[in-house]
Amino acid sequence: MQALAPVELPRYLLTGPLPERQAGDSVDQRPLVAIPNLGNYSIAFTSVAEALGVRAWAATRTTPEAMKLGLEAAPESACLPFKAYLGLFIQAARAGVKYAVMVNSVGTCRLRYYRGLFQQVLDEMGFDMYVFGLGYDGLKPPLVRYFDPRPWPFLKWVGRAAVKMAVVDDIELAAWRTRPLELEPGATSRVMSQCLRELDQSASKRATQSLRADVPRRFAAIPVDPERRPFRVGLVGEVSVLRDRYLNHDLEDLLGRLGVEVRNFFLLGAELGNIFNLGTRNPNSRKRLMEVARPYLGAEVGGHAVESVAHTIRCAEQGWDGVVHVCPSGCMPEVSIRPLLRKISADLDIPVLPLSFDEHTSHVGVTTRLEAFVDVLRDRRRKDCQ
Amino acid sequence: MTCSGFLGIDMGSISTNLVVVDGCNEVLYDFYARAEGNPIASVQSALARVADELPRDLQIVGVGVTGSGRSLVGSVVGADIVKNEITAHARAAIHLHPDVQTIVEIGGQDSKLTIVRDGAVVDFAMNLVCAAGTGSFLDSQAKRLNISIDELSAKAVLSLTPTTIAGRCTVFAESDMIHKQQLGHNQADILMGLCHALVRNFLSNVCRGKELRPPVLLQGGISANLGIRRAFREALGCEIVIPRYHMVMGAYGAALLAAEAAAPETRFRGFEIADHEVVTEAFSCGDCPNCCEIIDIVDNGRLVGRGGGRCGKWEGATYGTVADHAEVSPDSKPSQNKMSSGGVPSA
Repeated sequence: MQALAPVELPRYLLTGPLPERQAGDSVDQRPLVAIPNLGNYSIAFTSVAEALGVRAWAATRTTPEAMKLGLEAAPESACLPFKAYLGLFIQAARAGVKYAVMVNSVGTCRLRYYRGLFQQVLDEMGFDMYVFGLGYDGLKPPLVRYFDPRPWPFLKWVGRAAVKMAVVDDIELAAWRTRPLELEPGATSRVMSQCLRELDQSASKRATQSLRADVPRRFAAIPVDPERRPFRVGLVGEVSVLRDRYLNHDLEDLLGRLGVEVRNFFLLGAELGNIFNLGTRNPNSRKRLMEVARPYLGAEVGGHAVESVAHTIRCAEQGWDGVVHVCPSGCMPEVSIRPLLRKISADLDIPVLPLSFDEHTSHVGVTTRLEAFVDVLRDRRRKDCQ
Repeated sequence: MTCSGFLGIDMGSISTNLVVVDGCNEVLYDFYARAEGNPIASVQSALARVADELPRDLQIVGVGVTGSGRSLVGSVVGADIVKNEITAHARAAIHLHPDVQTIVEIGGQDSKLTIVRDGAVVDFAMNLVCAAGTGSFLDSQAKRLNISIDELSAKAVLSLTPTTIAGRCTVFAESDMIHKQQLGHNQADILMGLCHALVRNFLSNVCRGKELRPPVLLQGGISANLGIRRAFREALGCEIVIPRYHMVMGAYGAALLAAEAAAPETRFRGFEIADHEVVTEAFSCGDCPNCCEIIDIVDNGRLVGRGGGRCGKWEGATYGTVADHAEVSPDSKPSQNKMSSGGVPSA
């Protein structure tokens, strides 16, 4: 068995040191690691887990069961993603998963404390689970140091995960474009599910690439009505609600069925560099978005607030029909920019629908708001034509 | 000679409203009833009442359904158009008052503000999760004081010195009311205070950041309440317009929308369905980890509609008899199956 590199306590850890590695816990037995849910990107994250020689415990959408567990364990005033992630971890811990990963140190909202808080809650509940932090901590995060994979296969798998992320983006972009035009309701979602399932199962680089090459053909084969003129609506807001289709009540499907071509402004594969502030020539780099947002928002307020403001302004400038701003209840950054979005909406004449999501399971409220919003868009278009 | 009419149904959270309009969009018949928990039964009894009172030669050529129970009732009656309440209410308001700029609609479970400019909806807002500031809030307080909602209305408006009641939360409001009552404030002042609290809640939560220009229309079940009318008038400092069919504006709007859509052949299944045995059956889908509870609507043994799913595959299916379930089942399962967190993934 390989000896483990000694691991120091990272400066941002709030609770005790890393667990002692047990004798039988060899890399060959592939321990399980629970990873936070980020919608369909969870498929790519499982490849990163492979890179570490572990198996991922993951889901592409929060399950009602996980949500229930999270609600029971979390304080009432915590934000919705906190409850969803905690529920996922508790569910994993109950199943005997010993490790979990949580992003920390990124962004300036409460999220940076969540790793420590999750650890504390899990400890208090008596689970034997260690939550690794995944923030910037030198070149080797504690997670990589702990599982210590061999460098070459590790990089190979990470590269594969990046390709999978790009394929997820391709699939979603194609689905957003096709859904409002489809003749048979649900046809696009079916093709999308099939593509995602194959992506999840594709184990080799070649299989992933051939799937990627095939995606445009599959979506092009869906019978559509090319005469329709879908409304174009941008989705901005908090990441986990944007990505997790359970938390956002299948917002993209609902809008698609109402004849709206959506563009979710969180595409990890295309914008991965922005998070780390790479690629300054990219129009979506953080620096460029800060410039766009500056007339309304001159400072970081955490989370994806700058992105939400900047993309709303861009949608208005590029003549989009509207913007839907999603915000989990209890989200500090997104709540702070609500008044700004209202002002942008009035100044630049673009309808902005604010949507708050909480734990409620009924989606009548969401449907009613979206339907009325699309009616507003239709009236505006009719007026423009006159 | 037969003449044609359009039926509008508003299946709200606490009331069932029906309106029948003629070819010139004039109301022939309107009906308002409190629904007690069973939407199918209440729409059936409402239809039976309408069928009795309408002229025999009137033929329904289009049906519009709105309200929070719209998809269920839409399947039961066979609607030509199923619309959200915001659009339906605005449609009726603009029809009756073409110059309207602001619509306040307070129903049983939610309250809505609609901003209209030049005869078109430009913006709207709804209350968030909590039901404070809606009709059910007044209902529960009237019940607690053991008076009817009409008595509440009549008493509140007589108050000369309304007291202040906390309006942020129903629970706080109730404890405030009890406190004031124990201090010796008279009931009229407390009830008027309650109306003020509700209006304050509405203005600070729903109307935040919106410009309320007159004419302001007040509609929905609560618009019958004189105390609420007075509170709005005092808070906004302008006259409040109560449209003629203020109690049934949603149903009126739905009927107008059905008339506008003018389907070549209506899907309305006739007033006979009032006598049909309509039942619902629930099953769990299980094709993905979300495990949606799907509701089948079965009319005399025939599957007429489905609801409750999140991905749309059940709702989008074509219906037949109950025995056809297998045919409706989609051929592919969502990708999430393998990655279900309900069990340890195998790879």
